Amino acid sequence: MNRILLVARRDFLQIISTRAFKITLLIVPLMLGLVTFGTSFLRPPPTVAYVIADAGGKVASVIEHRVELDYQRQVMRDLSAYAARWKLPPPEGGEDGYQADDAVVERFIARGGVDGALGRMRPPASATAFKPQPPPYLRVAVPEGVPAAQGVETFGRAIAPYLANDIETPQGKRPLAVAVYVPARGPLRLWTNGRNGNSLIDMIQQERTRLLRLALLTESGVPPAAAARIEAMEAPVAVSAPPTGGGRSQMMVRSIVPLALVYLLLTAALVTGGMMLQGVIEERSNRLLEAVLACVEPRELMIGKLIGLGAVGLTIVAAWIGCALLAAFSIDGAVADYLRPSLAALNQPWMIPVLAFYFFCGYLVLAMLYLTIGSLSNSMQDAQAYLMPVTMSIIVPVFMMMSGVIRNPGSLLPRVMSWIPLYTPFAMLARLGSGVTGVEILGTGLLLVIFLTVELMLLGRVFRASLLNTGQPPKLGAFLKLMLRRN
Amino acid sequence: MTALVLDRVVKRFGDFTAVDDLSFSVPEGGVFGFLGGNGAGKTTSVRMMLDILRPDSGRLEILGRPPARANAPQVGFLPEERGLYRLMTVLDTIIYFGRLKGMSAAAAGRSATALIERLGLGAWAKTTLDKLSKGMSQKVQLATALVNAPRLLILDEPFSGLDPVNQGVLEELVREAAAGGATVIFSTHVMQHAERLSDRLLLLAHGRKVFEGTQAEARAQLPPRLQLTAQADPSRLPGVARAVASGAARDGWQEWDVTLAPRHEAADLLQHCTANGFALRSFDLYRPSLHDVFLHLVGGA
Repeated sequence: MNRILLVARRDFLQIISTRAFKITLLIVPLMLGLVTFGTSFLRPPPTVAYVIADAGGKVASVIEHRVELDYQRQVMRDLSAYAARWKLPPPEGGEDGYQADDAVVERFIARGGVDGALGRMRPPASATAFKPQPPPYLRVAVPEGVPAAQGVETFGRAIAPYLANDIETPQGKRPLAVAVYVPARGPLRLWTNGRNGNSLIDMIQQERTRLLRLALLTESGVPPAAAARIEAMEAPVAVSAPPTGGGRSQMMVRSIVPLALVYLLLTAALVTGGMMLQGVIEERSNRLLEAVLACVEPRELMIGKLIGLGAVGLTIVAAWIGCALLAAFSIDGAVADYLRPSLAALNQPWMIPVLAFYFFCGYLVLAMLYLTIGSLSNSMQDAQAYLMPVTMSIIVPVFMMMSGVIRNPGSLLPRVMSWIPLYTPFAMLARLGSGVTGVEILGTGLLLVIFLTVELMLLGRVFRASLLNTGQPPKLGAFLKLMLRRN
Repeated sequence: MTALVLDRVVKRFGDFTAVDDLSFSVPEGGVFGFLGGNGAGKTTSVRMMLDILRPDSGRLEILGRPPARANAPQVGFLPEERGLYRLMTVLDTIIYFGRLKGMSAAAAGRSATALIERLGLGAWAKTTLDKLSKGMSQKVQLATALVNAPRLLILDEPFSGLDPVNQGVLEELVREAAAGGATVIFSTHVMQHAERLSDRLLLLAHGRKVFEGTQAEARAQLPPRLQLTAQADPSRLPGVARAVASGAARDGWQEWDVTLAPRHEAADLLQHCTANGFALRSFDLYRPSLHDVFLHLVGGA
């Protein structure tokens, strides 16, 4: 093994044995776990039960049908979002659920509901399985022992204990949210458990109102068919949603992986750069560099350290990406819902090598900065004087650029920063998902390679010249002289 | 064959000349003392021998070749400023330096294990260095210099920071290395170590050579100091260059510090006194130490 690789191996093994490294490895798994755990709280509430005692026998089925229609409309909306994410046709031939009226929903149900729609949409094998959310309300029979024919007060007293507890349903025990008593004549009466079922009460009220209006219209001499048309009429409202396979939401899906890589690059470079900085300062402050330099050229030491640090960075990123892929393909949840289509969007053959190129170059640019700071500093206190301005001059513009890309990928700041080599990797990674030209990739890539070469040459001189210095770190003038001195 | 040659070597740092026209050579085998006070240019010279620094002018040769990392497999180096990777174990540290010097992993492992036992560090082989005492850490550092069984061992101020027991251990190791055929060059400003170890030595002051030769030649730089107690003034005796009374006379006897003239021996003077009835109560001859020579040559430089 040559000396460069020996140095790289030693630095790699030393860094990965530190607690800081192990904690860093856990960042992404923890984040993914938190997102999965956190979003589980955002899931729709579990199904609750309701009962209807309908003395006339006409209202219960109407309410039940309305509950079912509203639930299926929500399923259609979710299915439309799923279809857009995976570039599939919408569930009901052009109707995406937002503007689906009752007739469309009826047709959706008649054509097999979710299963029928998924059969027609044919999602690819790589897509996450679509799981419709459970219905919010489930009608169950009036419990035995609760008299439905002995008047409203008797019914109310008998049902009260059930409202305070769960009730047996085909899906197991569920809270009884609402009990409805519909007398043959007179006003409808509702009891609730005070916790769930507000939307059901609104729905029942609207449905009841609709039936009353219908009856009134008929009694007023309006023919029943006309009365039904009048009652079903809704003011036309045009809802515009992003077209399937495009629009802002689709753009964001395509940008998730490149944007995540920007964060990964920044975090990995700053964290591992900090570790290497400490390592170089330790070597300087422990006075062990002289013994090393008796065996290893300063250039070999520098390259070995960069390779060692690069290997640490790659290990971290590989572990993070591995966790993300595991979350995307093994665990269903919010992470999988967004990561899988985003990964599927990396379908252009040039995308992955270009992403890797910008990531690698960006990492190297920052690693060399940190290595130089380490070679100039006798202590972490010395290093802070350089570290703060360098880190801030990277983080602040990059975060401004990132928010610019998220608002509008074509805005001026990200485009300009793409041509400033220090920021090129970040800006280009962030913009790759939203479309960049081949000229931009080639031009910025070439400029970045030239910048990196000059950086390695000039900062390499500073590194070599500063390794055995024990005095105060150089001021700007002396620093520039070190950079320009050939020997 | 010469182990080391410096030929008119000059090294400057800005306006300061650290090493000034330095020339000397060290033959292979034996122990060579590289002596000088603080700032004399010892460490700069050592760094040039190892190619850590390059001379502004002049020429160096290490084992017949110009200084380069390619010489590392045959060179052992113990720097003045010592430190090790705190989180590496004793064994791994020694193997690492062995491998940096071109040894195979197996050979470095065997040599490291033997050195660890020799230095009494067997119980700490798998211990990280941050848990060792300073003395033990310095033994480990010495092992990193010896792991490749070097032909040339360069020790820069090797005894600094060591307690007397460990100084003794180190001296023993230096003698062993020399007995094994290695050339040992060690820099120091502690003359007792040089006196005990070095066959030849070089004195450096302000970057310039002020003496090079054997210990006897070094001592010959100063006349021996003679102290005698007599009733009469010894300054007229043959071979006496100067006699100065020291202290007050007691019962007619006076102590004298006597300086002999060049090429005159104290034994001849004693014989003359005995033969001619020159009354003496004491006759003490003090040979100059390296410390005296150092002060004489370097103190005034």
